Amino acid sequence: MKLFHDVLQQMRALLPEQPALSAAYRSDLCAESGDKNAILFRSDTAYELGGSGKPGVSSVLFGEIDASQDEVLVYGKDLCELTQDTAFAHLTIVQLKEHSEEDLRYEQLKEIGFRLFQLYPEGYHIRVSPSAGREQVRVAKSALQGAFPLSFINIGCSLIRLLREHEDVARVQTVFITGENVDYAALAALARKAKSITEAVQHTLQFGELDCASCKMKPICDEVEGLRELHMKKEKEKQNHGA
Amino acid sequence: MRTVTFAFTGKGGVGKTSLSAALIRLLSERYPDKRILAVDADPAIGLATALDMKPPMTLDDVRLRIAASIDKGETADAIDLLSEAKFHLLDCIAERSNLSFLAIGRPEAAGCYCKVNAYLKQVLETISGNFDYVVIDGEAGIEQINRRVMENITYLVLVSDGSRKGIQVVSAIHHVAVNLVKWEKAGVIFNRIRSGFDPPATQEIPPVLAVIGDDDAQAQNDMQGQSVFSLPDDAPVLRGAAQALDALLQENGS
Ligand SMILES: Nc1ncnc2c1ncn2[C@@H]1O[C@H](COP(=O)(O)OP(=O)(O)O)[C@@H](O)[C@H]1O
Ligand SMILES: [Mg+2]
Repeated sequence: MKLFHDVLQQMRALLPEQPALSAAYRSDLCAESGDKNAILFRSDTAYELGGSGKPGVSSVLFGEIDASQDEVLVYGKDLCELTQDTAFAHLTIVQLKEHSEEDLRYEQLKEIGFRLFQLYPEGYHIRVSPSAGREQVRVAKSALQGAFPLSFINIGCSLIRLLREHEDVARVQTVFITGENVDYAALAALARKAKSITEAVQHTLQFGELDCASCKMKPICDEVEGLRELHMKKEKEKQNHGA
Repeated sequence: MRTVTFAFTGKGGVGKTSLSAALIRLLSERYPDKRILAVDADPAIGLATALDMKPPMTLDDVRLRIAASIDKGETADAIDLLSEAKFHLLDCIAERSNLSFLAIGRPEAAGCYCKVNAYLKQVLETISGNFDYVVIDGEAGIEQINRRVMENITYLVLVSDGSRKGIQVVSAIHHVAVNLVKWEKAGVIFNRIRSGFDPPATQEIPPVLAVIGDDDAQAQNDMQGQSVFSLPDDAPVLRGAAQALDALLQENGS
């Protein structure tokens, strides 16, 4: 989707040139699923991503992915290399199928975004605050032991599988970022912007308000190229349909 | 894993909080490998002090935060709100070794705890499975029974002092509970009993689990703001709680 193009570029510009780790999606790399009501107790927790008041940025964006496969990228240390609470960001870029994008429905973006809340990997307790754009993760001591300690690659593959099960999703790239060398505040600002674009798209699709002067989405529509066009196109379709 | 739930209820001031705390201490010492959840379900609060545990947030704090975001008209879907609540749930749980603690807090809207009670019920349904034992220090009276906050309990523990009023309340709660909630075993603990007291032998109340006299150590401890963990092992409140626990855990009793 063109709408997120600028935000996505600015986010990518904040990351190092090359990821420390990357992997194409493979179903056998998916993490084991856990119980959705399981609490990971502090005493069983090795550390928390985004814990101790450190940044924990979360964002789902809809855009173009210039890769020929679904993939997981890791910038900074992987799970088994971490020992204490750390700053963290998790960006997921979803490319919609072309026909889906053309006749976009309000529910689609929501449904796809919600999939992140349905991920319950064993030993990796995710909690997301949509209002704060925050994601925090408790990582179990037990998950880091043994011959195959849990990796972001496993979590990423699980998320990709969940997202690809949605019929409108064409491609997914999910990016995990840890460590202190990233401008998390800037990432968080961009994540907020991405969220307001999503909301504006949803607002447009759901309510189809015609009077821009009184619409609360006006500031973001003014800023993001393509939002207003999408809106007008939808309105026209509706009128044609009604006629 | 089977979760065993104890729910304490009875008139105000009879010792529900003191005895819940005593039972929680006993469970955590007897079963160091088991997980125990202590729940302060009384808006009068007190269990936090009795256990010396204070989570950063109460369930009511979470509820208010979410209600506020709805009032502000933020574009939030039900699923977003659920995720938000789940995010803060961990902030509501204080942990110390095998013990976890959560509190409903002190709802401001005078007299109406229904919303936070409904929330408590839902939270208990989702997280109880993580624990071997859940001990609920309930609100005085029948509200939480009426609202079936404690719908599925293993042991219903009714607490009374020696007063006629205390016994009436116990009998009334028992009466309501019979029709509304499921439990495996119920019993009464008589607390702060003077000598010469004869527990009433009536069909109206379940069997007596323990009779506890005046406990100076408990009174002192409370006055000094100390937790149940600083009570001497032989304090009457602890001994009475142990007796009640043994009576409840005994097989084939009724
Ligand atoms: N057996 C006892 N002897 C003396 N004081 C007691 C005894 N049990 C409880 N208390 C005191 O009585 C007061 C009320 O007890 P509490 O446990 O808070 O009752 P409730 O929770 O039912 O309102 C507290 O100050 C407590 O320390
Ligand atoms: Mg009390």
